[in-house]
Amino acid sequence: MTKLTKDDIFKLAKLSNILVTESDVKSLVGEIEVILNYVSQLQALNLANTEPTYQVTGLSNVMRPDEEIDYRISTEDLMKNVPDVENNYIKVKRVL
Amino acid sequence: MKKNNSSNYFPTIGIECHVQLKTKTKLFAAVKISEGDIRPNIATSHICFGMPGALPVLNERAIYLGIKAAFALNTKPQIFSKFDRKHYFYPDLPKGYQITQFSQPIILGGSVGIKTNGENKIINITRAHIEEDAGKIIHPPGKDYSLVDLNRAGVPLLEIVSEPEIHTAEDARAYAQELNLIMRYADVSNADMYLGNMRFDVNVSVSKDQSKLGTRTETKNLNSFKSVEKAVEYEIKRQIELLESGKQIVQETRGWDDAKQRTFSQRSKEDAHDYRYFPEPDVPPVILDQELINKIKSEMPITVSLIRNKLSTIGIEDSAIDTLLSEIKVGNFMYEIVNKYSVHTAKKIANWLSSDVQGYVADRVFTWDQVKLNESSMVELAKLTEDNTISSTSAKLILKEMLLNGEKPVDIANKLKLVQLSGSDDLLPIIQKVISENPDAVADLVAGKDKAIGYLVGQVMKLSSGKADPEISSKLIRQELKL
Repeated sequence: MTKLTKDDIFKLAKLSNILVTESDVKSLVGEIEVILNYVSQLQALNLANTEPTYQVTGLSNVMRPDEEIDYRISTEDLMKNVPDVENNYIKVKRVL
Repeated sequence: MKKNNSSNYFPTIGIECHVQLKTKTKLFAAVKISEGDIRPNIATSHICFGMPGALPVLNERAIYLGIKAAFALNTKPQIFSKFDRKHYFYPDLPKGYQITQFSQPIILGGSVGIKTNGENKIINITRAHIEEDAGKIIHPPGKDYSLVDLNRAGVPLLEIVSEPEIHTAEDARAYAQELNLIMRYADVSNADMYLGNMRFDVNVSVSKDQSKLGTRTETKNLNSFKSVEKAVEYEIKRQIELLESGKQIVQETRGWDDAKQRTFSQRSKEDAHDYRYFPEPDVPPVILDQELINKIKSEMPITVSLIRNKLSTIGIEDSAIDTLLSEIKVGNFMYEIVNKYSVHTAKKIANWLSSDVQGYVADRVFTWDQVKLNESSMVELAKLTEDNTISSTSAKLILKEMLLNGEKPVDIANKLKLVQLSGSDDLLPIIQKVISENPDAVADLVAGKDKAIGYLVGQVMKLSSGKADPEISSKLIRQELKL
């Protein structure tokens, strides 16, 4: 059985950019442990000679020519989805 | 400077280089790439913004350029390559992940040859992979917010990773410069340093034990060759001083302060290296066709190392070669000249281009873009000096005219009345005049004082307004005096 700590949960939350409170931790520990134990069954298999599955469509070389396409989406419309705008820049909480 | 045991330390440097691939549109969005100062966020789409359901579609030109880059780096492209998601949250990356080739890049292996202090060295390449660039963030001073521009988000990059095989700051710079030339000559990238088309991260460590690497630091986002050299130099010195004072090196990401010429610790993003890569399900793998690979190989332009070797073989100095190579059209032009004409002619032309023309460019008389390089004119000019039709001083005047307006050298020489007087019909009257007007010098010469000839030739030059051929004049003076 994989054992998770509270710190593990907060680290995962941070990496996933999800807000997790102290009260969430208890239930999350249980749920994630179940998932990890399920995955650990797979890890027990000997897959040394098995080709990893990179994708499931069976497609390859899906490419387009290096030409501009008019997507019919305006910058104005795109900018409607951002939290805040200043001089057409996307304004975000200060980083750095 | 405080004396330390710096000579006991062995520095090791590895370099990661991001070079922008020369495409018209972005890597996964068919959005035109705009460089320079344009309004923020206008060269974008739903794909660049990472809108739900947006489907990235790979630009085939980026793969084509990746194949070219493989050959330019002395290796072959990988038949199978694929893209992965590299996860981190930062406002320059709206999707929350960067699409990059992690597990199976298009290039594995390769090498770059450098030459410093007359010594040739090979720096091996670990790998090179294609990935999308992030957006640009600016931090207005004194404000509590940052501003994001996604025009650059999704621009195709090739990240070239060297083996840790560089050991001096000078070699680090030489490697960066050579990589820049390689990418430009192969036409994989414009590699314009001013536009930020090429950026370097340097990993530096020092160790007393050559068989073991010390703790390394990574100094990121160096955008000039000089800053590569200076940052490496600074890190080596800083690390040695830390170790000498009994302290430890912290493995960390550092930035470069160009104004203060020093590196500084950047608060490393916590969990920075937990990127949780997994295969990008939206972009199917790339499987290269052998015929396409062969075709691209056969169409590869002349490599910069081939031109360098060629110029070196005929005895042109390394610094002049560097000058010639720094302009692609000059490098390619010189390659043709060396292949087709005599060593003498080629060296003369190389000298004009690397010193005189370079001087005009440095003095802003004209730019390299304005220079019209014409093989037959250049060779003709060299011939005119070789057979003494014009003096070497006149040749430089003609050169300047010729490169700017494309006229034939002979026409310019006639126009500017620069053709040397070398026939005795033209020269004899002048020489006779000089002899009769300078009896003292003539007497000296007759008496065996050879120095006097210089004075007499000088007088001939003066009377002919510099057009007399000095060598022939000297001969004719002696002939007239029956010496």
